[in-house]
Amino acid sequence: MICPRSIAAVALATIFLTAAAWAHDETKYPDWSGQWLRAGGIQWDPTKPIGRGQQAPLTPEYQAIFEASLADQAAGGPGNDARYSCFPVGMPRLMSVIFPMEFIFSPRITYILFENNMPRRIYTDGRTWPNDPEPTFAGYSIGQWIDADGDGRYDALEVETRHMKGPRTLEGSGLPLHKDNQTMVKERIFLDKTNPDILHDEITTIDHALTRPWTVTKKFRRERNPTWFENDCSEDNHHVAIGKENYFLSADGYLMPAKRGQAPPDLKYFNRSKY
Amino acid sequence: MRSSIGSIALAAVAILAVSAAQAFDASRYPDWSGQWRRPAGVGNQWDTSKPARRGQQAPLTPEYQAIYEANLKDQAAGGQGTDPTYTCIPDGMPRAMNVIFPMEIVIQPHVTHIMIEYLSMLRRIYTDGRSWPENLEPSFMGYSIGQWRDEDGDGRYDALAIETRNLKGPRSFDASGIPLHEDNQTVVKERIYLDKANPDILHDEVTTIDHALTRPWTVIKNYHRVRNPVWVEAICAEGNQHVRIGAESYMLSADGYLMPAKKGQAPPDLRYFNQSRK
Repeated sequence: MICPRSIAAVALATIFLTAAAWAHDETKYPDWSGQWLRAGGIQWDPTKPIGRGQQAPLTPEYQAIFEASLADQAAGGPGNDARYSCFPVGMPRLMSVIFPMEFIFSPRITYILFENNMPRRIYTDGRTWPNDPEPTFAGYSIGQWIDADGDGRYDALEVETRHMKGPRTLEGSGLPLHKDNQTMVKERIFLDKTNPDILHDEITTIDHALTRPWTVTKKFRRERNPTWFENDCSEDNHHVAIGKENYFLSADGYLMPAKRGQAPPDLKYFNRSKY
Repeated sequence: MRSSIGSIALAAVAILAVSAAQAFDASRYPDWSGQWRRPAGVGNQWDTSKPARRGQQAPLTPEYQAIYEANLKDQAAGGQGTDPTYTCIPDGMPRAMNVIFPMEIVIQPHVTHIMIEYLSMLRRIYTDGRSWPENLEPSFMGYSIGQWRDEDGDGRYDALAIETRNLKGPRSFDASGIPLHEDNQTVVKERIYLDKANPDILHDEVTTIDHALTRPWTVIKNYHRVRNPVWVEAICAEGNQHVRIGAESYMLSADGYLMPAKKGQAPPDLRYFNQSRK
């Protein structure tokens, strides 16, 4: 005879299993809710000063490109940094998190939402790389949740990102990535072991502008009751790109030079005899 | 014995309830996964059941009808009129729900996110029962509070009712420049729900209340689902040929020169350049 207690136990187990199948089992995932703000500056490696201080492992060719960018910026130009015309910063620079970010976990996709860039979708459904996807600034990301300590809960998200397009740089100083856009970015995102309000992103960039893979660790701090703002680059952007030149808009709405002695734009398409 | 079985069953129900509170019970929510696109052949006008521009028969006040007419005249001459998005600022609400580029909806216990593949047009719709915040900075997408509704009483939610306030401008309803009031006191009420006959069609009944309008204006948007989507980036700044200098809009020619957007348009004033050097 089957014991009624066993029947009840089986019923209980069935109810549990059904519940687990129904729902996205949040208990397996770490709590990364809230708003994450950068804990460091806007430079790529937060442990070193921006610009030359980064000691970026650039090839000689790309070191020369970087030096030219620095010289142009010193003269008032944008150098290699395309952000002045509101292009997305792309990967991996997105993870400098100039403005705050948010994570959303779904069973198959982890989303990273930014205040001033489009979201990253990190596919965690076991898919393989697509054939010939259209490259994007943020790239195509495949991730895997890792239970490193075997306690039945995920501790870290490992991500690989490919299929990017340019122009992209690593920071506002114009630290260049190779124009072949063959960049590959590997990340490991995890909570700090002692402080659950600190998140780390260990980022390794593999790129033909670099002599070796370059690893930096970004740190973010949590705001549990956030207020979100819009940060729209194009709103009140005072840079004006005309051809290959960058100009400024003055406070009173006139075009003005960005560099000392800069020539005005060629107005050959205007009928100047009228004015 | 029966009482102990009953106790265990009761315990199971209690545990299940706790479990449901801990975990997100997706079974209560509709399946709005995938990518949502405006139907093929549908233009970018606000009321998709009517022709664009004057054909929309927007219920504008006389003051705002006059603003709209002036805008249409400017657009006919090559200008941008009252459509501010040529400089790559977000469409804002309610225009974002034109879904010119595809959208994704991610439902979570306290927030539903609507991500539109253009600029950083992200909507957070709070469904946690909060009240309106005080003194929040206005935004193009506004602040949205939603409520899930089980309209047919089957234990599953069918519709998301949303109210959006706290907007800023400039905004227009569509590219023809149908204006919203410059006081930015717009209130947008929506009801989003799946089509009863076709689960791959989503509807958004959008009512706009605005001081540029003589009455609340309700339109219904329809979206078609792509279940295995490919997402691409639509970057406004990439290849944008519009240049705004002061109050004037110009164009960039294919060979990279500034050119007039309108016939006979004056060139920009170059007073801040040392032209004697050239």
